[in-house]
Order: sequence, then C-alpha cells, then structure tokens
Amino acid sequence: MSRFLVVDDSKLMRDMVAACLRPLGQVELEFAGSGLEAIERLALAAFDLVVLDLNMPDVGGLEVIEFVRAQDKLRSLPILVVTTRGDDESKQRVLGAGASGFLAKPFSPGQILQEVRRLLPVGAVP
Amino acid sequence: MSDRVDLQEFVVGFVAEADELVSAATAQLLEIEAGNTAGVLRPKAVRDLFRGLHTIKGLAGMIGVEPIVVLAHALETVLRAADRAGGHLGSRSVSLAVQVVQAISERVRAVATGHIPEPAPEALLEALATINLTAAVAPPPPRASIPAWDQRMGAGERQQVMQAFAEGIPVYTVTFVPSEAQSAHGHTIATVRAALAALGELVKVAPRATPIGVAFDLLLATRADRAVVATAAATTDEAIVLIEPPAPAESAAIEDRAAAATSLPASPIEDTASTAVAAIGRAVVRVELSRLDDLQELLSSLVVSRFRLERELVVQAERGVDVRRLRELADRQSVQLRELRRAILRARMVRMSEVLDPLALVVRSLVRPGVKEVKLVVDAHDAEVDKAVADRILPAIVHLVRNAVDHAIESPDERVAAGKPRAGTVQVNCTNIGNRLELAIIDDGRGIDRAAVARRAGRAISDDGELLDVLTAPGFSTRDVISQVSGRGLGMDIVRRIAVSDLGGDLEVRSELGRGTTFTVRVPVTIAIVDVFSFALGAQSFVTPVATVDEIFELSDTLTHRPPSRAGTRAAVAMVERRGAVVSLVSLGELLAIHSTVPATKAIVVHRNGERLAFAVDRMLGRQEVVIRPIEDPLARRPGIAGATDLGDGRPTLVLDLVELGAGIARRHDPIIAAPRSS
Repeated sequence: MSRFLVVDDSKLMRDMVAACLRPLGQVELEFAGSGLEAIERLALAAFDLVVLDLNMPDVGGLEVIEFVRAQDKLRSLPILVVTTRGDDESKQRVLGAGASGFLAKPFSPGQILQEVRRLLPVGAVP
Repeated sequence: MSDRVDLQEFVVGFVAEADELVSAATAQLLEIEAGNTAGVLRPKAVRDLFRGLHTIKGLAGMIGVEPIVVLAHALETVLRAADRAGGHLGSRSVSLAVQVVQAISERVRAVATGHIPEPAPEALLEALATINLTAAVAPPPPRASIPAWDQRMGAGERQQVMQAFAEGIPVYTVTFVPSEAQSAHGHTIATVRAALAALGELVKVAPRATPIGVAFDLLLATRADRAVVATAAATTDEAIVLIEPPAPAESAAIEDRAAAATSLPASPIEDTASTAVAAIGRAVVRVELSRLDDLQELLSSLVVSRFRLERELVVQAERGVDVRRLRELADRQSVQLRELRRAILRARMVRMSEVLDPLALVVRSLVRPGVKEVKLVVDAHDAEVDKAVADRILPAIVHLVRNAVDHAIESPDERVAAGKPRAGTVQVNCTNIGNRLELAIIDDGRGIDRAAVARRAGRAISDDGELLDVLTAPGFSTRDVISQVSGRGLGMDIVRRIAVSDLGGDLEVRSELGRGTTFTVRVPVTIAIVDVFSFALGAQSFVTPVATVDEIFELSDTLTHRPPSRAGTRAAVAMVERRGAVVSLVSLGELLAIHSTVPATKAIVVHRNGERLAFAVDRMLGRQEVVIRPIEDPLARRPGIAGATDLGDGRPTLVLDLVELGAGIARRHDPIIAAPRSS
C-alpha cells in the first residue's frame, strides 16, 4: 500500500486534497500542518509521495524541497507542489529546487490525480 | 465516473475557515494600527496577515469564488512588500486593508447564504494599486549580527530580534531533535513550537540536517527561565544557547532610543497649555505586561512567607512565648500586603477610552457616503479594566460594532423615510460597576425582527433572552435570513464565547423593531491568568498550575514498586525511587475514575507538607497561560479542583490542584502505604 504525506497549513485544503485523492483507493494518507512537521515526518518515516504547499509559516515548501533533496535517502522521493503562486517564475524556481511536479491552485480533482499517477511507478496506484 | 469528486461539499468548511481568517486578519490590522500610533513596527502581525490572505486566496480559488481571490491577491501584493520592508505598513495601507478584509467578509457571507458574491469593488482595487510599493521599502533595519541566523532571517524577523535586544529581552537558540521516542511521548516539532511560542516571541524556526537525521533550531525571545524553556522544548539546558546582543555601536535602535530620551524638554511642566506636554507632566510610563506579571509572582511568594510567619507565631505562642509585639507587626504587614496587591492590580489597569480607540478605524472603513452614514459615539467615562481582560474583550466589541454598522443601521434614504436622522448612531458606553465592567453597544437601527428569526430557527421566541440564545447558537449566522431580515449574524457565537465562556461574564440583548438594538456585555475587571501544564488522561485533558509542580519525570526511567494486593483502594499507590528518596506514586486516572487504554508515561511531582508525591498521567500536552474561572455551582465544587478553563477547544477543562488532591490521598491511603492490610 502506498503512503502519502499531504502538507498544507490549511486543514480545509488538506481535506480537499484528501477528497481529490479518494479515487485512488488503497492509499494511506498522513497529514502535516507545516513545513516543519513535514521535515520531521520525512525524517522519521518512509513515504512514497509528498503533496506540498508552498506558503507556510516558519519553513515554506521551497525550503522543505531544498532540505529533502540535500538528504541522500530522500533524493528521489516524488514531491508534487500545489500552490496558489501559479506563475511561471514560481514554477521554474520550484522545479529548479527539485520538485517532481507542479500544480497551480485552484486545480480540479482530475488534474491532481493525473499528476500523482504520473509521478508514481506504473501499477503503484490504480 | 470514479474520478469525479465534488469540491462543493467543502463550502461549509470554507465559510468556517474563512471566517476565522477574517477575524484573525481584523485583529492583526488593529495591532498594526495600534503599533503605528505608538510608533512601533509589528512585523509579525504583518507576516501573519500576509499568510492569512494567501490562505484565503488559495481556498477561495478551490471553491471557485473569484472576487475573493482577486481581493486577497491585491492586498497580498501590498503585504508582501510591507514584509520585505521590515513590517512597515502605513496608515493609508492599513485603512485600505481594513476595507479589503471587510469586502472579503461580505463575500464569504454571500457564499454562506448561497448567493453569488459581488465582484471585487473596482475603486478599492485601484486604490490598492496606487500604493507605492517601492516607497514602502523603509531603510534596511539595523543588522543584528547573529552569525548562526544571519543567512536564515528576513528583514521582518531581524526587526523582531532588534526589538527584543532593545527591550533587554534575552534571545536564545533552542535546539529540538525529533525522534520516535520523543514523538511517542507527544513531543513533536509542532508541540515544541507551540510550547515555546507561549513563552515569548518565537521569531524563526529552521531545520538543520545532522549526521543522524534532522534537528530544529528555534529562535526565541523570552524572559522565561532557561529551565522553563528546556522543559517546554522537551530538551536539556545544553540545547539552549543565549545570543549576545550586538555591541551598542552596532545597534542603531538602542542609540535612537537614547537620543529620544535626551531630547525631551528639560522642564516640561512649565508649558501646561499643550496636552502632549501635560501627558509627560503626568509622568506616564509604558510598562511591558510581563514585568507586571513578575511583580505579581513576587507578591505570591511574599504571601507564602507571610503564611509561614503566621504559623511560626502560633507555634511560639503555644510554647508560652510572649508574641504580642510580633503579632502587632504581623497584622500590620497583612494590611500592607493587601494594599500592595491592590496597587499591583491597579498598575495593570488600562483606560477603556484607549482600549476602544480602534473602533473609530473600524467604523470609518465601513461608512460610505449616501449608502451608509454612521456616527460613532464612545463614552468610556473613566472606566478601567485589567490589560488581560481588555485584550480579550476588544475583538468581541469590534464584532458587535461592526455588525451594528453593517446590518442594523439602514441606508440614509430608508432612515429619512422612517423619520430618523440620515446618519445612524452607534454608541458604546462603558462603566465600572463594582468589580465588573459593563459595556453597552447601542444602535438606532432597524432592530431585530423576532418573528423572522423565530421562523428561521423553527422555534418560538417570546423574549430577548430566547432571542439571544438563537442568535448565538453556533452556525445560526450562516443562514441567509440574518443579514437581510434581522440584521444580525456574523460571529455572535464567538462574542458569546469570549464574554461568557472565556471571561466568565454575561451577554444580554434588548431589541425593539424599528427603534434599535442594545447589546450589553458584563465582564470581570480582573481575571486570574495562570501558567499551567496540560496533560492527558484517557480521552480528557486537565491542567495544573506550574507553580505547584516540583518536577516532571519519565516513568520508564524509574523503577516502580507496587505493593501487593491492595484491593479496595481506588488510586493505586506505588513507590518510586527518585533522587535517592522514595516517593509515593498515585495513578491520577484511577483516582479520578478515568479509564485509560494506554500506560502512563509521565509523573508530575508536587510537594505537600514537606513530602513529595507523584501523580502518573498518560502524557504531557504542553504548557500555556490560561484564564481560570472559579466553579460557582456548589454541587460541582470539590477539594482538589481549583476551577475550570478553556484550552481553546471550546470544552471546559478542569484545573487540578494536585497538592490538595494529594491531601485527599493521604487521608484515604496513608495506612495502606504505611502498613498494607488485607480487606
């Protein structure tokens, strides 16, 4: 069973992402309410994919990516950034920092599913 | 299709979260405006406001509420520039920001009631666009030379550190290393962050890779003891590093302050005509609240030594010693202590006329010539209230005034047709009555249509008391009838929570259709704020005052010895060895008859008559300051329960006096500890 970490400082947004991913079925979702919590969870447990917001207190999504990519065991962890800052400059910066995918908010459930399926190995999720 | 998910199911959640964000934004704007008046930057409020707007924008986008996205985006741009300028947000920007937040709030209401929100007001967007963002870039704040943090701080954060240095507040780097063991005990970066934030100003948190994983550095400005900081961060003293302030020559902020002090008129009392100078003549000083808290704490220890003295006097008298002269002195000291206590309480008082200052700003932002004309009259007499009460009650008053202007006051044409003056009046009266503060918010608007509210609520409303119950029921405000018919709604449940649940006061409404509405809030002038540890037992939370706790230790670290078979005792008493002494360990869960499915992990040690007693609890939740309300129902009053409080989840949480509870145990179980007997 795949295990995802959904990181967003808005609970409602975490719930919405969870609802969007519902069609995937057997995926275990864990949630983090801040970039700090995300870094902690990633240090202590193994995940197959991270859905990551950019604008969060203390440590933003960009810093999380930079931090994660500097660690050997997390170098290839798929990170899908979902953000309200959907402009090209943000996108280039995020992908340049090492994100695996980029999705601008607002997104539709179909869009995030498509991105998740693209980032995971074939057959990992339905 | 299996992939189809409807995000519209989240509209209710959106309204709730957006309401919260709007309330927070209003409070942050008031803080920034107050800072502007006092000439102090509020970089943290600016940053939090920015982030809140960003979140609203994201959520509104997902639900598809374009006008809110547009409004939030426009303000966000201004706020991002302000954050980069070290938190500088001018008065005009604040004024516009208040209007944006108001416009967002109106559109959230529309969403809540199933209406299509109006487009973002063009005039407002244009006004925002004309704010010169480059002009807002203030001179770079003085550089705090903190080598470990220089690379990791923004301008606003640097400003926060400099302010702490200028006020003489110690600044520390606290390091927390997360682990499975720590998180099993409930210590995660989220809990540690919250615990440290409660101790002072948490400026920045940054992760750092270490050979074994990850560590978090937290930059904290606090006057709290190092030991307290260590406990809050679930770490040891070695993980706390004091940051030295830069040498005075580098610190422009400190120099500025000194310059200002020397430039004061040498003899200000001569020119009594100027009010500003008169204020200096009255010799007003601003004192940080934490310093007054320190005074109060010192007073408490003085009261304790006074009790000891009293006891000793009794002992000496019983031995036949002549203590009459001493007794006289002791009695006089009693009186002096009471006076000292009163003087300290007086020092904490603030004038309501100053507290209510921001109301003018709120009303100004809501008035539109020809559409909504309102006169605000604030009559605060000489009413005063404890600073802690003032900080808590202000948001409720802002809510009430805002509702009155927004919904109760009719349009000028409507008012003229009804034979009223064009401009409505919202009056805020406050008076001290005994040890209570009474605030009345009076409007001469349309009044609340009880029949319409009753229809909507599906219950009869026969008097104002029942009307209030309906208006303050959670969720009632989201129904469309409120803003159109009764003119009430936004956040009335929150107003009730602040006034009644948090502060132990009461709330009343009197309304006459066509004539106007009066809300009356009565709250205590002072409240007891206590520093507490919170902990979990089964599914419940409890708190206990930090002052009564000797230490907290891990149960797994200690050898526990349970005496055999003590059937009939409710609180299992075991013995643990602690620092070379044997300490009785009581299961607090069993004592309070709370069922818990997990083993206790921590023990809280208190002192009672020179003996130490440990209480086992499931886990510690943190440390915070809470308002304690006495339990007034005589049936619920019990020894060992010092009162009730609210940890923010809206449920009452009991404040346990473990020392007193310990007395109960000793009475019931002393024989068992001394000589176990079979039953």
